[in-house]
Amino acid sequence: MSTAEDLPVLGAPVDRVDGPLKVTGQAPYPSDVDLPGQAHAALVQSTIAAGRITDLDTTEAEKAPGVLAVLTHHTVPRLPRGPMTSLGVSPPAPLQDDRIRHHGQHVALVVAESREQATAAARLVRVEYAPADPVLDFDDPRAVSVDDPWGLDSHRGDVDAGLASADVTVDAVYTTPDNTNNPLGLFSTLAAWEGERLTVYDATQWPAMVRETLAEVFGVPEVSVRVLSPFLGGGFGAGLRAWPHVILAVQAARDVGRPVKLVLTRPQMFTSVGHRPKGVQRVRLGATADATLVAIEHHSTSLLAVEDDDYEPFAAGSAVAYACPHVVTADRQVRANVPAPVSMRAPAHAQGNFALESAMDELACALDVDPLELRLRNHADVHPALGLPWSSNALRECYAVGAERFGWSRRPARPRSRRDGHWLVGQGMAGVSYPWYQAPSLARVTVTADGGATVASSGMDIGTGTYTVLTQLCAHLLGLPLEQVRSDLGDSDLPEAPQAGGSGLTSALGSAVADACERLLGALLELVRDDPESPLHGSDPEDVVAAGGGLRRRGDPGRGETYAAILARHGRPQLGADGASTPAQPTELGMALAGAFGAHFAEVRVDEDLGLVRVSRVTTVIDGGRILNEKTARSQVIGGVIGGIGMAVFEDTITDPTTGRIANATFGDYLVPVHADVPDLDVTFVGEPDRASALGVKGVGEVGLVGVAAAIANAVHHATGVRVRSLPITLDALL
Amino acid sequence: MRLNVTVNGERRQADDVWEGESLLYVLRERLGLPGSKNACEQGECGSCTVYLDDVPACSCLVAAGQAEGREVRTVEGLAEGEALDPVQQSFVDAGAVQCGFCTPGLVVAAHDLLDRVPDPSDEEIREALAGNLCRCTGYEKILDAVRTAAGAR
Ligand code: FES
Ligand code: FES
Repeated sequence: MSTAEDLPVLGAPVDRVDGPLKVTGQAPYPSDVDLPGQAHAALVQSTIAAGRITDLDTTEAEKAPGVLAVLTHHTVPRLPRGPMTSLGVSPPAPLQDDRIRHHGQHVALVVAESREQATAAARLVRVEYAPADPVLDFDDPRAVSVDDPWGLDSHRGDVDAGLASADVTVDAVYTTPDNTNNPLGLFSTLAAWEGERLTVYDATQWPAMVRETLAEVFGVPEVSVRVLSPFLGGGFGAGLRAWPHVILAVQAARDVGRPVKLVLTRPQMFTSVGHRPKGVQRVRLGATADATLVAIEHHSTSLLAVEDDDYEPFAAGSAVAYACPHVVTADRQVRANVPAPVSMRAPAHAQGNFALESAMDELACALDVDPLELRLRNHADVHPALGLPWSSNALRECYAVGAERFGWSRRPARPRSRRDGHWLVGQGMAGVSYPWYQAPSLARVTVTADGGATVASSGMDIGTGTYTVLTQLCAHLLGLPLEQVRSDLGDSDLPEAPQAGGSGLTSALGSAVADACERLLGALLELVRDDPESPLHGSDPEDVVAAGGGLRRRGDPGRGETYAAILARHGRPQLGADGASTPAQPTELGMALAGAFGAHFAEVRVDEDLGLVRVSRVTTVIDGGRILNEKTARSQVIGGVIGGIGMAVFEDTITDPTTGRIANATFGDYLVPVHADVPDLDVTFVGEPDRASALGVKGVGEVGLVGVAAAIANAVHHATGVRVRSLPITLDALL
Repeated sequence: MRLNVTVNGERRQADDVWEGESLLYVLRERLGLPGSKNACEQGECGSCTVYLDDVPACSCLVAAGQAEGREVRTVEGLAEGEALDPVQQSFVDAGAVQCGFCTPGLVVAAHDLLDRVPDPSDEEIREALAGNLCRCTGYEKILDAVRTAAGAR
């Protein structure tokens, strides 16, 4: 049997199903949830970056109005570190000893009747330190470094020979600063114990992981832990770990025997839930005079916490970005007394692509060829390392469509050749190959007595539209109108799905939902086929389709019955089926798994006297495979592009080089793009459904951001003749 | 202290309010109105925007006592029953919402803009909403939403 093709539901730009809840203020974010009898917590954080606590006096705080408890390393029991996850280690357990590893480390947690009381009492906790001299940067000789942390360093051919054979080479160093994820929603944890049962409302992108972590840390069975995250005020990667403050809120709830709610402050969001780590990258490229790449060498060093890990292989993507015989990529991390980094929208690729695509622009200048032409000439027609055809690849189309829409052919070749009054106008571009990532997933689909259906999964909607696309998908596959399908997400009691992160959830969870729908239809079909009372009795499965809210005879829609009728006749309140998806194996399929591809074309205006940079327009073309909902997908890509503009010209988390304190940990000082910074944006999707994904989906959550910084830096060079190799591009670099 | 304030047309009272509390805190923690959001609590993001006597304000910067005897209108008070306000409807239609955390503040700020300037230019929209941060949408669809709402009102 098959499903109806007549419903224009899948791929349609339907409105997000959670829209009305959100515009009326009814969507319950973690910081909006309250439980009867709850107490409130506030953190005390270290004011030095390295050393030891010599004295921690909580007497005054404990006497303050409303205070119920003060947790310190003296009171918190020894807790194990959380488990290894598919994204790496868990953060170390909090308040385990007197050592300080970074400025802003949690040193105490005050619990009181109200949030204001907890905050006031937190100021009364007296902490004495024996400070040590912190390691704060790459060049500190005491810093410990980790070479090739993920085993992803790559070698192909002989890069030295390649460089020696080149007619033209580029050798340049690029730096990117710390950026802070800064989702708008303050991260929040509300924890409640009932005996050994634990319920936690948490700002997480991965409820199943938080459940596993809390079970392990607190020594209770996983089934007795429930983690809920039905709505989240953004995450951009910050919600991919069970952070120390989550553990502390749960411990506090156990200590005071009441639900405890902890909401981070904006400054605490800079030190407690990760950031995009800063890095230094050296890129060497070599090409023959006809613009054929013969060597790529890409080395990166990024900053890491002293006792925590993070996945950030900046250079790895350069191994597969272009057809090139001689390639070396190598990544290194240096440990410092800084807060733990974390994935931030397009981890590693955001930074690595900036270096590679800037260097490509420099190479184009040195060769005197058009930057677009250079990319086309070295396009990877097959996977450069495996030699296999891609499961899908419309990068050439991204370039062609983008160049056409942007008007690239009218761009003058020489830098500094266009102006508009006192503005110098320049145009630049960059290409993007974003890798494929998918994890196994489960989902359940149930039809109910009212004739509708429910999708259930622990996977959550970070705001990108998971509720909406799963609802569309299920409606499409079961032949139901959208209004009759509901998705329940973000609850660890529901079938386990991977994290909302890495651009992989739609593909993984969507495939599991499709599998569940297929199984469910199979079960329903069995019911009707053997049932003499059914109009479909004895039907060949091939002749039955899901349409009109039930099962129908193909080509004879009058013959069939609704799900409600089937369930009623069989006396069932509901019928459900579990579905699963597993990632495809590339080499078994004889093809290389392709991620999303993209091309960005940017125009900037630089004030000749002031050095001010304004991004005036961006044209972006994305190959994201099959797009399930053009409206939500486009919005995601636009958001990514603006994130890229932030990275290019605004965002910079500044750490004081002597104290290790973050000096701009507010929205007033850490600049993000605002409405008035938004240029004209043109986003187009191209490409075909991906052959290696059951749904043909590749994921578009991150690809929109990658490449924007390079396109802008290249446009700044075109406008001014000045090559800026350090982000963000601020006016001081252009004066 | 005891606070008397009219919220979304209803007279409300809160007891034992501490002088240091913000209006945002009172709305969220005492009056059961969590629609207005706390994203910075120091006047830098606009997520907590409400009408205070018909003037939009960051409620995190308003001391609770300053609201005594005044009228507050929050995002919860914009819709007429089931019917969304045109601004709310156009945010849904235009796809101007992702995570939605910035949305309540933006909806109130856009509502106020259209009250003052029924047919704003793009420049006016960009400037008027520049104090409302959004980290997800890239703003472009918000601009569309405000244009559409202007037409619908
Ligand atoms: S919470 Fe009031 S402006 Fe940010
Ligand atoms: S929609 Fe997430 S911050 Fe605006």
